[in-house]
Amino acid sequence: MMKWMFLSAISSCFFTTVFAQQQDTLSGNGAITVFTATKTERALSNIAVPVQIISQKTIQQAGSLRLSDILSEQTGLFMTNGFGTGVSMQGLNPDYTLILIDGEPLIGRTSGVLDLKRITVGNIKQIEIVRGPSSSLYGSEAMAGVINIITDKSRKNTLGVSARYGTYNTADFSLRGSIRTNKINYQGFGNFYRTDGFSIRPNSRERSVAPIERFTQQHNLGYRFNDRTNLSFNIRHNSETIKNNITVINNGNSINSIGVEKNKDLNATLQLSHKINDQVKNTTRLYGTQFQSSQELISDNGVPYLDVFKQQFARIENQTDVHVNKQLEFNLGGGYIHETANSTRYDNSTSIKTNRIGYIYLQSEWRALNKLTFIGGARYDHNELFAAAFSPKLALQYKVNSTLSLKASVGRGFKAPDFRQLYLNFTNTAAGSYSVFGSVEAQKIINELNRIGQISSLEPSFYQLSNLQPEFSTGFNLGGSYQNEQWHITANIFRNNIENLIDSRLVAYKTGGAQIFSYLNVKNAFTQGVETDIKYRYNKQWSLSAGYQFLLTGDQAEINAINDGKVFTRDQNGFSRKMDRSEYVGLPNRSKHMANLKLQYDYQNFFANTRALYRSRWATTDTDGNGIFNTNDAFAKGYIQLNMAAGQSFNNGLSVQAGIDNVLNYTDVLNLPNLPGRTFYLSISYNFLNKNPK
Amino acid sequence: MSKMKQMILVLGIVVSLVACSKDDNSGTSTVVETITVNNLPADTIIGITPGAPPTGGFPYGAGRYTFYSLETNKIVPASDSASNKWDLAFKGTTIATNSGNSGPGGAGAFVFVGLFNDLKTIPTDSSFRVDNAPSAFAITTGSNRGWYVYDGINQLVTPIPGRVLVVRTASGKYAKVEILNYYKGGTTPATTASDAIKLTTQRYYTFRFSFQPNGTKTF
Repeated sequence: MMKWMFLSAISSCFFTTVFAQQQDTLSGNGAITVFTATKTERALSNIAVPVQIISQKTIQQAGSLRLSDILSEQTGLFMTNGFGTGVSMQGLNPDYTLILIDGEPLIGRTSGVLDLKRITVGNIKQIEIVRGPSSSLYGSEAMAGVINIITDKSRKNTLGVSARYGTYNTADFSLRGSIRTNKINYQGFGNFYRTDGFSIRPNSRERSVAPIERFTQQHNLGYRFNDRTNLSFNIRHNSETIKNNITVINNGNSINSIGVEKNKDLNATLQLSHKINDQVKNTTRLYGTQFQSSQELISDNGVPYLDVFKQQFARIENQTDVHVNKQLEFNLGGGYIHETANSTRYDNSTSIKTNRIGYIYLQSEWRALNKLTFIGGARYDHNELFAAAFSPKLALQYKVNSTLSLKASVGRGFKAPDFRQLYLNFTNTAAGSYSVFGSVEAQKIINELNRIGQISSLEPSFYQLSNLQPEFSTGFNLGGSYQNEQWHITANIFRNNIENLIDSRLVAYKTGGAQIFSYLNVKNAFTQGVETDIKYRYNKQWSLSAGYQFLLTGDQAEINAINDGKVFTRDQNGFSRKMDRSEYVGLPNRSKHMANLKLQYDYQNFFANTRALYRSRWATTDTDGNGIFNTNDAFAKGYIQLNMAAGQSFNNGLSVQAGIDNVLNYTDVLNLPNLPGRTFYLSISYNFLNKNPK
Repeated sequence: MSKMKQMILVLGIVVSLVACSKDDNSGTSTVVETITVNNLPADTIIGITPGAPPTGGFPYGAGRYTFYSLETNKIVPASDSASNKWDLAFKGTTIATNSGNSGPGGAGAFVFVGLFNDLKTIPTDSSFRVDNAPSAFAITTGSNRGWYVYDGINQLVTPIPGRVLVVRTASGKYAKVEILNYYKGGTTPATTASDAIKLTTQRYYTFRFSFQPNGTKTF
């Protein structure tokens, strides 16, 4: 245990955690603690829901720079393109995975996607991934699951730097330091990232990934009043500047625009925790965050464009953990959220939209028998703008013996409609002049347009416009894990029933033919499958891990229509024919099979690894016109991506690492615009100081 | 003037577009031919309005319908537009019937959801719509409302499978029509095709139809 603490504290070095390998994943599982699954510190081996941990060592040895880099190598997760790089978990869209930093939510989603490239991994201690609805603890957005990024906290006096340079002039510099005294501890982190971006589309002015610069800094200051009372303050600032060169092609006319996009995040947390006695602990957290985004463009013919979005989120939360006895423990919490947003995409940029949420939650853990643990919990969110949400969860773990344990859980998740779905007032003049109006605005605006004779027709969906309701999911997870000295096998079967999905629908046509869209609760969908991970340690040097996810998705209304014989496609002559249920592929952009394989070699201070990622084909476009994704439609090809890295650390605090990503040079201009061809990098890090405190 | 020339050129191309095929119709007493019409131009694109959206950048044709007679399986010259000689007229994605505001005939139509071959008899309770009553066209215009969907991202028009245009001809007989494709050669361009290809090959109909000359509603 001491060794683990000692080692995990050496955050600034690339390789020192190599020594901690015995603590990683295999034999030392009991030493790894998880916060996210229960909102309290727990040993990983005692968690009743599917949880995955990505260690600092894994992140570093994969040569990851941004959060999306490392998540893309995990079983069952894939990165989405468009509006930034989002993560899809258990087959759900990025909108439905809550992203936390040190337990606090990140905001600033564009079209539902939180761009994971905004997050550097340079100061991450571990990433905790909880699968399955978790709204019983976390409220909105935790429908597919939760990804919590735990950053380093100082345990020593350290100072270290690291630098990396690679293809496309991609450079990354980090500076880390920490001070620890008896009362005060401080940890500081700064990161600079830049890239020229790249274009995999030949003869295109527009780059697949535009030139980007990002600065991140994070400071954590802790003060220990006494053994019972601690105060900490954490502040993080992230800013990115993207140089855009955008080409919009409409009916053969191409319009070029150049400009700058700026995104800024600011997060601050003040936390006071107090142990009232051995049984009761109380924690109060005050959290404020702001996301600010602006996009300025000017077209070749001098037409300016400005898009501004600003979102603020403030929350106060109190949680009391009561340890009644060895069998029973419960956590009671409550909080208040004040959230605002304003944007040039709303009716006017100065009008500030507000939402207020009050919530309470309760969770209890009951060790009924030595081998059997129940966790039950529920959360109630009272929402100013929409209906309240009640999110219960029940989980149990049965430890058959010291190597085998079984888990089952059922929970409910929700996502409240976001500001965009309520207030958007956007007309895309660059592409066909279509408009999208949020549900609050739509009826008002369309009725007004109708009055002045600018509407040519109202679609059936117009008459269904009403107050948006939260989207709900019910998730079932059933799994087990087996672990011995050499093997660690986990498997999980999941099913998510998603109700009330919000989707955009054509609601009216303007005179002249331009389309007007709005948002409605229209769909019910499901995702189901199996995710499994196998880790095998052959000997002290060699280890192998493999992951696989099988995924099926679908829309219940579409399946009903197919079963009723109301869905058609075309035969080779172009004549219509009935579509068969077996031709249905479910939701687009989902691969039925996803797999990864990692071969790792460790010897003393040297390591080398090869990581292969596989995705089977996925549906992209409905080309047969039936509105449903089936085998007759357009697919992106399945592919394999191969990454390699190797590194060596030295006793004087120096370490070096080199890597090749996408060794096979696989690209897909159309469907994987963010995947460059083969890239190389070299990194070096040095610890000036690494001392235990006096 | 040049537009006029181009229009004449476009109309002039319309020759030898008709292919015939016999349908398997065993077991029924009335055997009606199913005919496939290829590459019927429908106001093909001759230019793009200058400027950028929303004021410009829109492709346009000469603004003329192509009139078609299902009875004679022929294109009817525009000079006969004010007659009973045509049944359907095509302009872009709009299909007019010789009825109401569109023509003097007694035509009408509705969109049947199902398979062409499964529609053996027009149901007795079917109600034929005419142009301008209740809406501008008997065959509803617009994406995903009548016979086609428009994919705005890829800018492609695709006929919805399982849609049959049930037509009452100008002279009061019955026909059924299935639109098969909207692009030249009967093949929709790939989503990745250039805008130039998408623009120059669109507005060419491929459709198959059966016309029942004996006046009954059975095919």
